[in-house]
Amino acid sequence: MSTTLGDAVRPGRSARPRRSTTELAQQAPRWQKLFATELAARIAAVLAFAVFWVVLSAVFARVPGPIAVVANLIDEFARGEVFGNFGVTLYRFGIGVVLALVAGTAVGVLMGLSQLSRAFLESPVLVGLSMPAIIWSFLTVMWFGFGDLSPIVTTFLTAVPFVVLNVFQGVRGISRDLRDMSASYGVPFTRQVRELVLPAVTGFVATGARYAVLMGWNGVLLAEWFGGSGGVGYRARYWYDANQFAGFAAWVVLFIAFIVALDRLVFDPLVTRAFRWRDAR
Amino acid sequence: MAIITVKNLTKTFNIGTPRASRVLDDISFDVRGQTFVSIVGPSGCGKSTLLNIISGVEEHTAGDITLTGDTGKPARMGYVFQNPRLLPWRSVLRNMLYVQDDRSPDTVARVRRYLDMVGLAKNGDYYPGQLSGGMQQRVGIARAFAVEPDLLLMDEPFSHLDAITARGLRAQLQDIWAQSKKTVIFVTHDVVEAVELSDRIIVLQPGGTIYEDITIDLPRPRRASDPTVATLQAGILGRLEDMKKRVAAGPAA
Repeated sequence: MSTTLGDAVRPGRSARPRRSTTELAQQAPRWQKLFATELAARIAAVLAFAVFWVVLSAVFARVPGPIAVVANLIDEFARGEVFGNFGVTLYRFGIGVVLALVAGTAVGVLMGLSQLSRAFLESPVLVGLSMPAIIWSFLTVMWFGFGDLSPIVTTFLTAVPFVVLNVFQGVRGISRDLRDMSASYGVPFTRQVRELVLPAVTGFVATGARYAVLMGWNGVLLAEWFGGSGGVGYRARYWYDANQFAGFAAWVVLFIAFIVALDRLVFDPLVTRAFRWRDAR
Repeated sequence: MAIITVKNLTKTFNIGTPRASRVLDDISFDVRGQTFVSIVGPSGCGKSTLLNIISGVEEHTAGDITLTGDTGKPARMGYVFQNPRLLPWRSVLRNMLYVQDDRSPDTVARVRRYLDMVGLAKNGDYYPGQLSGGMQQRVGIARAFAVEPDLLLMDEPFSHLDAITARGLRAQLQDIWAQSKKTVIFVTHDVVEAVELSDRIIVLQPGGTIYEDITIDLPRPRRASDPTVATLQAGILGRLEDMKKRVAAGPAA
């Protein structure tokens, strides 16, 4: 009497031998081999979005189509507006994010290792998390005026609570066994931070960095929108005020493309490298 | 080698609360010199707690405990845990260097020598995730020996391994110990293992007191299959059965 899985699933039918993965792969139709891949899925997503955008612009007159947006973007490049404004924003954004990462990691580690520090800092961090980026941008413009400082400080204030929270969670999650092992061998505190705490929280720092970039980018654009002299946010507002939605959308597409490229080309390899010990076989 | 003096040691968890529980109760013993001492007892009798107090990871509630090394200074300790407790993001070699005082060429050479002793000389660049459980535990043993401790603490280091791997590691431990002759305190619930490895067995009973302190005077190296070892094991197991019956019968017995 047969006892294969086939019998259990479909009683009364004769059992069929199970096919190996090699056999299944060889017998798969050609279209499946070509299109059932990650790359194909990503391309399909972009194409689907493009089709959706075209349909939307055809239905609603106020939604600029992709061709108009791209044309405006090319015009902006020709006018020399892109590199200069992007450069200004990147400068402000870069300083704000780097400061947020350094300060956020330090505060997160401190909160994770010290009960007293955690009690002291928990409420300010919560306030920071609750404050919308738009409010920070208003405040910094009022405090610092229309220069570089306002977008830099907005970026920092918007990003830092997310870094703190992620790093804090990472430190809290460090294995008690490893901490006890370090204590039992008398490993110095600085070496514990360097070899145990920081590597353990690398993944959380990377996640915090991703949030810092996304939130910080919102912050810098808002600060430039309301009080910038130059920059991506300032230029997007120029087109918005001129009621030229294609021009406005062109800058939106540009900064989304930047964030996606940053994520794929910088964060993905960094995170992969940070976790190479986990994937080693 | 180390000198350990434990005097009237007591440990109570959750003092001052309704959940207070006394795990070790007024125990006293000495350990001196190059000797292998096992601490044996049923689960919950305080074996691991005693080891943690000796290592300094836990504080004791009452009593005294002193540990001195060869030179009269505080004893240097190595610790082998139930699970290897290796940093997963550091290679084997860097894991061993993590607990060393420095990374001088002499220290690195010494660490490599101990890795070679446990048969892992070629695995220094491997991450712990690339090693089997037995290999990871061998790294843990090498790490403990490589700090050249006065006192080596081992908390059921083979309990999570399969029988064949554990047997091989016990034999390897005996060989390394024979070469280095440290003071070892070895916690186990396995009497057979204790007899195979030890010069002395301290038996703890529920309530955290010492039931018996047994000297094992058998020649080395010992193997579990040796009839003399087996006879002694049977005798000790019988005494532990008596202890269990006495504990079950209560204080009036």
